[in-house]
Amino acid sequence: MIGLRNKKAVGRPTWTGSSGARPPSVGRVLVYVALIALTLLFLAPVIWAVLSSFKSRNELAERPPSLLPDSLGLDNYTEALSRFDFTTYVSNSAIVTVSATVLTLAINAMAAYALAKYNFRGRNLLFLITLGTIMIPLQIILIPLQQVASDLGMTNSLLGMIIPPAATPTGVFLLRQYMLTIPDELIESARIDGAGEFRIFLRIILPLCKAPLAVVTIFSVIWRWNDFLWPLVIAQSQDLYTLPVALAQFNSEEVVPFNYILAMSVVSMVPVILIFLVMQRHIVRGIAQTGLK
Amino acid sequence: MTVAPAPAGRDRRTPDGRRSRRSSTPWNQRLAPYLLVLPNMAIFGVFILYPAVNGFNISRFDSTNARTFTPVGTQNYERLFSDAEFFDAARATAIFVFAFVVLSTVLSIALALLLTQPIKGRTFFRAAFFLPVLLSPVVVGLIWSWILERQSGALNSLLGGIGLPEPGWLVDGPLALGVTIFVGTWMHVGFYTLIMMAGLQAIDQSYYEAARMDGATSWQQFRHITLPLLRPTMFVVIILSMIAGFQAFDFIYTLTGGGPLGATTLMVQYIYEHAFRTPIQYGLAAAGSVILFVTIFGLTVLNFLYGRRKESV
Repeated sequence: MIGLRNKKAVGRPTWTGSSGARPPSVGRVLVYVALIALTLLFLAPVIWAVLSSFKSRNELAERPPSLLPDSLGLDNYTEALSRFDFTTYVSNSAIVTVSATVLTLAINAMAAYALAKYNFRGRNLLFLITLGTIMIPLQIILIPLQQVASDLGMTNSLLGMIIPPAATPTGVFLLRQYMLTIPDELIESARIDGAGEFRIFLRIILPLCKAPLAVVTIFSVIWRWNDFLWPLVIAQSQDLYTLPVALAQFNSEEVVPFNYILAMSVVSMVPVILIFLVMQRHIVRGIAQTGLK
Repeated sequence: MTVAPAPAGRDRRTPDGRRSRRSSTPWNQRLAPYLLVLPNMAIFGVFILYPAVNGFNISRFDSTNARTFTPVGTQNYERLFSDAEFFDAARATAIFVFAFVVLSTVLSIALALLLTQPIKGRTFFRAAFFLPVLLSPVVVGLIWSWILERQSGALNSLLGGIGLPEPGWLVDGPLALGVTIFVGTWMHVGFYTLIMMAGLQAIDQSYYEAARMDGATSWQQFRHITLPLLRPTMFVVIILSMIAGFQAFDFIYTLTGGGPLGATTLMVQYIYEHAFRTPIQYGLAAAGSVILFVTIFGLTVLNFLYGRRKESV
């Protein structure tokens, strides 16, 4: 990483180019103060929610609220899972997230490879369409899309949540940009060795694309696990609710006590935070590498 | 889906054949790209392109049950443009998107500048700002509505404890819209910061060295090196945040539910409620959808053209 020395609005001459140790200046102290204050703003609500998820209903109603829970008992968690059927919603979310991500990775990578490494009629048009569809988020075609899903009998099924948003244009774009950097000679020599087209894709191209595939995986998992509007439209019966749909619906109907809602909110945070911690360097590198256009 | 290898085709190829004589490309190499793009493009077609076009068609029909439709011509639009709720939603959306884009862009530049300083614990700070990006918007809305609750919320308990007034964050219309903008920015800004950081790190350090040798102040360096060279990145962030702003729905659903009295009901919620909540007014939703679609598409294209022109100057 490169240390940028230009501080906004600190307004002092810069002879701070060297990276050697020096006494803390006013500017550096201000940087730390700003960072710590902002970090509090970003972390405090989440930490507060996690701490409070262990509190009983009575503790939550206290005013002023106590900072720490009386105990770290898991009652809220176990009762929400058993008494309010959150096991079903968590498993619906998991099924949708995993299968949608696998499907997205497969079809995005295939399309990206064709767009990057083959010369074929219609390639430029398909690439333009890919770029164009980036500008059409699901929200703005919600009504006609719901019509298509209903015509195809996909409403009220997990399949209907998984398939329609699976072909992500950003995924195709990101993977294609990366695949362009793979030398053609690699593919040519594999052909000369007698490898079939699909085999080259599976055995040579995909293993070289671990970094961008990791980025697509992370974004797909985060998006699908947290997605709300499309599952809300598709799930008509309660047993098809995903975790976010269940949380939103039960919270607005006030049928489930808030201590359970809070515990299940924390459950919803765990998988994405774990994935992020494991793969975080891929995200930063992926964004830097693909340069985002 | 497998493509069988075809040795015969490969043997037929001449050294320079691939470019001059199309027919000498083995059939499997000609077929493969179409099979590879097929699944992805089929889903594009059926679930993005067709709905995008069909949206215009649907907006000429009305329905009260989303199953049987009656053609009504342009009546949906006439009704939409005489619907006060639609104008409230459009106005709230315009305010929300504008403030959200400006805040996201400015804050992500500021945060990216802070986070690229040579500081201790940089990885920790970066992760902290990125955390809200990982959370479900539904959960973000839930947590903030609980913290900002007027009577028993943590923030007002804190404010009351030190003798400050306790505002009705989510029950006062304009204030609630402000809170919505704040929470939206809180949730997304970490992602834009990451993009800005990539942009900052792509700037050649020799510019700064030269400027320092000429005695440029930090502010001058920022104003005349960082900002101009960061423009392409800012352009990406502006487009992404604009699209995200128009999409805003899920965190508002649990933060304010669109209230008080529709003050935070944005376009997506307006469309959702008219299409899927009784009493169903499908025509209004479909027409509203088209308006939103045209707005986003138009603004993105304008943005793109403007960005292109700037870059070519």
